[in-house]
Amino acid sequence: MFLHSLNPSIKAITVILSVILLTLVFDPITPLLFIVWIWILTIGVGKVPWKRYALFFSPFLIFSVGMFWTTIVFANEPNNPKNVISLLGFLVPEEDFTTALALSLRMMSFTSLTLMFILTTNVVHLILSLMQQCKMPPKLAYGILAGYRFLPSMREELGLVRSAHRVRGVNRASSIKESIQQSKRFAVPLLASAIRKAERTATAMESKGFTDSRNRTFYRTFTVSKKDWLFMGLMLMMLILFASISWYLGYFKWYSSEF
Amino acid sequence: MNGSPIIEVNQLKLFFEEDHERAILDGISFDVHKNENLLILGPSGCGKSTLTHCLNGLFPRELDGTLNGEVKINGKDTKSFVNGGVAHHIGVVFQDPESQFCMLTVEDEIAFGLENIGINRSEMKKRVDFTLKLVEMEAYKDRVISTLSGGEKQKIALACILAMEPEVIILDEPTANLDPKASGDFIKTLRDLQKEKDFSLIVIEHKLENWVTFIDRCIFMNEKGQIFFDGLLRKGLNQHRSALEMIGISIPQVTEIAIQAEKQSGKAIANLPIKIEELTQHPIPSSLLASSKVYKTITTPLLRLEDISWTKSKTDIIKPINITFYKEQFVAIVGANGSGKSSFSKLIAGLQKPTSGKVTLEKKPLTNWKEKQLRKRIGYVFQNPEHQFITDSVFDEVAFSLRMQQLPTDQINQLVKRTLDHCQLSDLEDHHPYTLSQGQKRRLSVATMIVDDQSLLILDEPTFGQDAYSTKQLLKLLKERYQKGTSIIAITHDMDIVNDYADRVIVIEKGNIALDVTPEQLWNCSTEKLDKWHLQLPLKIKLKKIHEKRLAYVSS
Repeated sequence: MFLHSLNPSIKAITVILSVILLTLVFDPITPLLFIVWIWILTIGVGKVPWKRYALFFSPFLIFSVGMFWTTIVFANEPNNPKNVISLLGFLVPEEDFTTALALSLRMMSFTSLTLMFILTTNVVHLILSLMQQCKMPPKLAYGILAGYRFLPSMREELGLVRSAHRVRGVNRASSIKESIQQSKRFAVPLLASAIRKAERTATAMESKGFTDSRNRTFYRTFTVSKKDWLFMGLMLMMLILFASISWYLGYFKWYSSEF
Repeated sequence: MNGSPIIEVNQLKLFFEEDHERAILDGISFDVHKNENLLILGPSGCGKSTLTHCLNGLFPRELDGTLNGEVKINGKDTKSFVNGGVAHHIGVVFQDPESQFCMLTVEDEIAFGLENIGINRSEMKKRVDFTLKLVEMEAYKDRVISTLSGGEKQKIALACILAMEPEVIILDEPTANLDPKASGDFIKTLRDLQKEKDFSLIVIEHKLENWVTFIDRCIFMNEKGQIFFDGLLRKGLNQHRSALEMIGISIPQVTEIAIQAEKQSGKAIANLPIKIEELTQHPIPSSLLASSKVYKTITTPLLRLEDISWTKSKTDIIKPINITFYKEQFVAIVGANGSGKSSFSKLIAGLQKPTSGKVTLEKKPLTNWKEKQLRKRIGYVFQNPEHQFITDSVFDEVAFSLRMQQLPTDQINQLVKRTLDHCQLSDLEDHHPYTLSQGQKRRLSVATMIVDDQSLLILDEPTFGQDAYSTKQLLKLLKERYQKGTSIIAITHDMDIVNDYADRVIVIEKGNIALDVTPEQLWNCSTEKLDKWHLQLPLKIKLKKIHEKRLAYVSS
């Protein structure tokens, strides 16, 4: 699986670069083509199950559609009010339509890029790679890893505290004020145990000889190989290609503080 | 012992920042030699963990306070080691299996320590495989740590330390959070390991029981952080036999029975036994072994489960169960870890909604009870008492449910005072619940559950991870409730509790009720069956069986 085996740091940098380049462009065609390309990569090459992908993507899709609509409704005074198209029975100025489409597609392209990264990257590998390639301090990196380990247990513990309080006869909150009070009550035991656990873990790590020195060896080493640079190059080339297509079709436009 | 010691501790004295008056460790001195095993015993809060931190170089570097005296490793003061340097020589396995790991999988965790001390990659791979083989956990290499059981986690914690090849391994109450079977396995692993590898062992504990079979030298500490004995375990037991329990060090049950026998017969036992084989050499009055327990056979139903089952993400946690609990009985629920005991108890308490079936309390389905009324009848004490605390003082904590019912203040005060008195918490009224000791916290959570005179009290492993003294106090409290007519359902791993207190014992196996009998009948089950359920015979029953066998032998 090509996407999964890429160096996580390089993958992250590629995604960030693509996002930056996409913000410079303001037309509907470039992001549209880029979205299709990312989808092919994620679902076709990355083998992410499309149902799962749709689930993650749907909230952003709704948000984008909403944005599209509000942009049209609350648009600025058009320069060429005579150029109109019909949209669901409404007559909409064409330039408003293009702006709205560019804006919402642009958001969707960011979402696609981020999802491609999240769904094909192992968090632990990302952090190990950031430490090895991007000189992230070990103290921070292993701190994040240790915290990441605790996440599922925190959720379990919240469930326990909730039923423990139920036994005490604490009613389920019925008003906002009550639920704020209740979350305070939940917070104390959760925080107390989190702090205690954190201290214990820190002690255990230190007694295994952990220091913040960068002078350490790695069991899992991450290297940057040709295919990582190839991926980065490919992504940027595709972006330029799509921009050219858009230019050829006469839609291409640089971003000039429209929104 | 020949050669110079690996660890030399010299007049160690330690104060914490908050309290300059009270020394946590007071004039501690001892040596540990190569391949020597040492057991350090002391009550909870005697500074055992602080001592661990001094030995592994964490203190004085991370200490808010002052430390006098010195700790030398191979003749070099720990203060002059570079950061993390002590880890080459000393490794520690901690008490809590949950929070001593920082990586997700077993192999990454073992490698973590090796990365820290700069072992190269090919050597690391070899060591990871080798140590996993040592602790017989090769199959677990890729497993995610959080999916392992407590016993497995402790073995992995041990493997992590073994991989770093230290000269001394310190075990800080390594079995406190494990069930008896897992503790036994862990100690056996250690014993086998010492035959194959060279290392000294320092075990810090408050329970002698499991270690007597392979550790001879021991140090006794008191609650002031002083050493009052350093020498052979047998000698220490004989010298301080009466004082140990007062201090909070639990002596082996075998020894305790011998002391009782000594008292009854009036014949002094010069050399107190510490192993069961030794105890059987002495005459034991049969009255000591006979259980004084009379089983209550009440048949008024209190709570009934009909076809109750619970399925979570397509796994059957509890398979359809039919059972009736009767009034005023003490019921013990036993079984292996992960067999579904806790889930079962939560279904009984109405804390978990069953997938199918119904629970009826006093002939009325639980779903028809108002939550408030239900909680006045069923109390549930969680494994971690802190989860249940809601207010800022011990008094308010107990008064909480009474205030919810808007009872008059006089009555509340009176009820709270009585309950606190009952639970031996009277002089702690104004303390914050979190500042109590482990045993006091547990008693407080029981107090909050009995203040309404609940007729059914459910406890999830009430004696887990507590020292001998707190366990005794809690059991006394439960016994009083029981005699007053409260029904008690307790999940437990402690077979002595089952033997001494329970009227009825329920064995849970893989979400099913495997057995539902009186304790006496349970002890008559075959050893294979008991093994399968991770149960052990209580010591008294073992002795009785040996005794009976002998009689049979003599008479034939």
